[in-house]
Amino acid sequence: MKKLLSTILVCGLLAASLAGCGSNDEGTTTQGSTGTTAATEDGSTEGTTEGTTEAASDFDTSRSISVISREDGSGTRGAFIELMGIEVKGEDGSSTDMTTVEADIASRTDVMLTSVAGDPYAIGYVSMGSLNETVKAVAAVAIDGVEATTDNIINGTYAVSRPFNIATNGEPTGLVKDFIDFILSAEGQAIVAEDYIAVDSEAPAYAGEAIEGTISVGGSSSVSPVMEQLIEAYQAVNPNATIELQTTDSTSGMTGVAEGTLDIGMASRALKDTEAETLNGIQIALDGIAVIVNTENPIDNLTSEQVRQIYVGEVTSWADVQ
Amino acid sequence: MKNVKEIVMKYVFMVSAAASILAVFLICVFLFANGVPAMREVGFLDFLFGTKWAPSNVPASFSIFPMIVGSIYVTAGAIIVGVPIGILTAVFMARFCPKGIYKFLKPAVDLLAGIPSIIYGFFGLVVIVPVVRMVFERFDTNGKSILTASILLGIMILPTIIGVSESAIRAVPNSYYEGALALGATHERAVFFTVLPAAKSGILAGVVLGIGRAIGETMAVIMVAGNQPRMPVSIFKGVRTLTANIVIEMGYATGLHREVLIATGVVLFVFILIINLSFSALKRRMKA
Amino acid sequence: MTSELTANTKNEPEVLQKRKRRGKKKVRPLSMMLRLLVWISAAITFAVLIFLVAYILVRGVPYLSPSLFEWTYNSENVSMLPSIINTLLMTVIALAVAIPFGIFTAIFLVEYAKKGNKFVTIVRLTSETLSGIPSIVYGLFGMLFFVTYLNWGYSLLAGAATLSIMVLPLIMRTTEEALLAVPDSYREASFGLGAGKLRTVFKIVLPSAIPGILSGIILAIGRIVGETAALIYTAGTMATLPENVFSSTRTLSVHMYILSGEGLNINESYATAVVLLLLVLLINWLSGVAAKKLTSSGLRDQQ
Repeated sequence: MKKLLSTILVCGLLAASLAGCGSNDEGTTTQGSTGTTAATEDGSTEGTTEGTTEAASDFDTSRSISVISREDGSGTRGAFIELMGIEVKGEDGSSTDMTTVEADIASRTDVMLTSVAGDPYAIGYVSMGSLNETVKAVAAVAIDGVEATTDNIINGTYAVSRPFNIATNGEPTGLVKDFIDFILSAEGQAIVAEDYIAVDSEAPAYAGEAIEGTISVGGSSSVSPVMEQLIEAYQAVNPNATIELQTTDSTSGMTGVAEGTLDIGMASRALKDTEAETLNGIQIALDGIAVIVNTENPIDNLTSEQVRQIYVGEVTSWADVQ
Repeated sequence: MKNVKEIVMKYVFMVSAAASILAVFLICVFLFANGVPAMREVGFLDFLFGTKWAPSNVPASFSIFPMIVGSIYVTAGAIIVGVPIGILTAVFMARFCPKGIYKFLKPAVDLLAGIPSIIYGFFGLVVIVPVVRMVFERFDTNGKSILTASILLGIMILPTIIGVSESAIRAVPNSYYEGALALGATHERAVFFTVLPAAKSGILAGVVLGIGRAIGETMAVIMVAGNQPRMPVSIFKGVRTLTANIVIEMGYATGLHREVLIATGVVLFVFILIINLSFSALKRRMKA
Repeated sequence: MTSELTANTKNEPEVLQKRKRRGKKKVRPLSMMLRLLVWISAAITFAVLIFLVAYILVRGVPYLSPSLFEWTYNSENVSMLPSIINTLLMTVIALAVAIPFGIFTAIFLVEYAKKGNKFVTIVRLTSETLSGIPSIVYGLFGMLFFVTYLNWGYSLLAGAATLSIMVLPLIMRTTEEALLAVPDSYREASFGLGAGKLRTVFKIVLPSAIPGILSGIILAIGRIVGETAALIYTAGTMATLPENVFSSTRTLSVHMYILSGEGLNINESYATAVVLLLLVLLINWLSGVAAKKLTSSGLRDQQ
């Protein structure tokens, strides 16, 4: 019995020593690697925009593309697959998301950004509002030769965009109406336009009355940052109002409104048919979706067909992307 | 009068003890009530053993077998990485560690246990993922893989295993150790062949707790596992776990999709039940 | 195994010291290997920890600024002070529910229940089950039961209730162990002096078990402070101070999760991580101090 036990133990320990050595190696290499990532980050601060073409020297085009997508059902993914033709609609009303199953799924925008920033061979897509100077080592590529900019979305040349919606249960009244009026006014839309695209560039100035009360707004985490600014601006002009903001997600925003726990719901996608039946949806902004690659990647332009091929898995190597 | 107080308090204690039963009961009722109808709608076999997960297709397919396998793979990997290191570290802390160092090590392990999983997640994403990508470059991995998730989870279960194993090792009467020494064993042999086997039931408990933590871990795993909803193909490729499936899609899900995700939670719950029941059965057999 | 060697708990047992004095230096490969393995494993564990902490500090400390600690939160300063207060409130409420239940259950199991009782078996089994349930499942349950069924909405109360169920087994188990560790002679002495069962439990057994109970509570606090998955579905994400228990709140971990979520405030979220780390350190340190204080005073009471 004892002998058996000891043999088992020794075997286990041998395995442990192997695992131990492996992890130990990793421990040491790890420290080196952070050094290098820090270095690349520092390097790219100097030339954020030119970075795309500069650092092409050690980019190995034979490597396969790490395709990164968002989760099924995400507003960003929904808009992206539809506009890029990745979603195939059948005549019988069926639709199939053709995104390759090999695609990594980043559950949140920051994970998407960090993943692309850390992997020279990655491609992903994010809301344009999230693409700011704090994220280094990530660059947006032009689609069909059109840069992903606010202007190009407004003039319609850059097609990859999605709506930001808010919804109320029935016609808005009182404070809710006043706040929505503010969002759609010139002041509100000016705030929207800082990071996103206003729906109405010639909106009238806000002329509401300072209604007292408390309302709660909740829903999509994509809409939340701009909503937060809208609320702060509104409370500056109407200090009598208290507006609570819940950051969850599009769907719980919509269900919250339907169930009455929220006064205004936010969704970073179009309202689903079942939701549109009961809720009153209002579009407050337009958000562009930028296709992003690592700054080490020399590519700065892709056709929408190439993006489609990459995402459905027809093209798997950077060498095949000209 | 005094007697009444005694009796009343006895029942207060008893009712408190029933609270955990009530909690488990409620959890069962609410999860099953919300999850089982969805399973029935999808079809039990299809739900559990189909391999296609495409919730936004029309018609949608909801099969979580890839995630079940994914959870098992990642947990097994975490055990391979975490258990040997954890137990050996526990041995070190209980029997090898100089007193001066121990003063620092004990709080250090507590700290490791207290770090929120989301920090582990970022750490994994920024540090472990690039390392795995570089070291295993020839396997064409992009770093987000079963291996990465296993290493990260292995690290995350260390404090659980160390904590429980250490107290189990310390609980072994010193006479065992000294008896072994008296028979001529070295310090190492005495610890490994006398003390450690005597502590095995406690160590096993620690390992089971660790397994529970590995299966249930969510926030860290979704950042490093890749989350592809397909059958795992290699340890250098990504995988999606049951927990990840819930967290990733819960936010956007409506209708049947949402219920299916709750059903995924039911499966996870049943998993934990099975592990706990088999562990207590094992414990009973070890005692017998 | 019946050998009654006196428990000499000195670092170096006499046998080993003698052996060393004799200068017998045989090469023992297995022993050497085992020793090496143990040291390597320990080194890996602590290298990982040091690396992890250093990583958080390097990424977070440069972004710690006073504006992160302003009284009210807005999108400009992304202040974490309200979240810190929320974390405290959440911890207090969750513990206020979990501690009495946990301790009472442990008392029942150790002091009152008869051995082999069916009820006891079920309680043990359910508590083991509870301790194994993943936090995401707690989140789902909290959402279905507290938020929707009891209609509490996303609230401090729903979050705290969910967390209290989550930490219940932790407190219960550590308390049970601590109670079991109290020597029976204490109880017998108390009974012998004519004290009733209740008095014995509260005046004799419980005080001497306090360090163990405390360590359970500290573990529970750690778990509450670090929890994210269970809270986003139950307590919501309001970044301001709650008005009452039905207001939604955001603890520090959730705050960090949300901050980094859209990729807008990643640096600030690392700064939050630093504070979170300090908080965990503080809790651990406090527990150490408290345990020491309570043990010494507890012993004095008994003498």
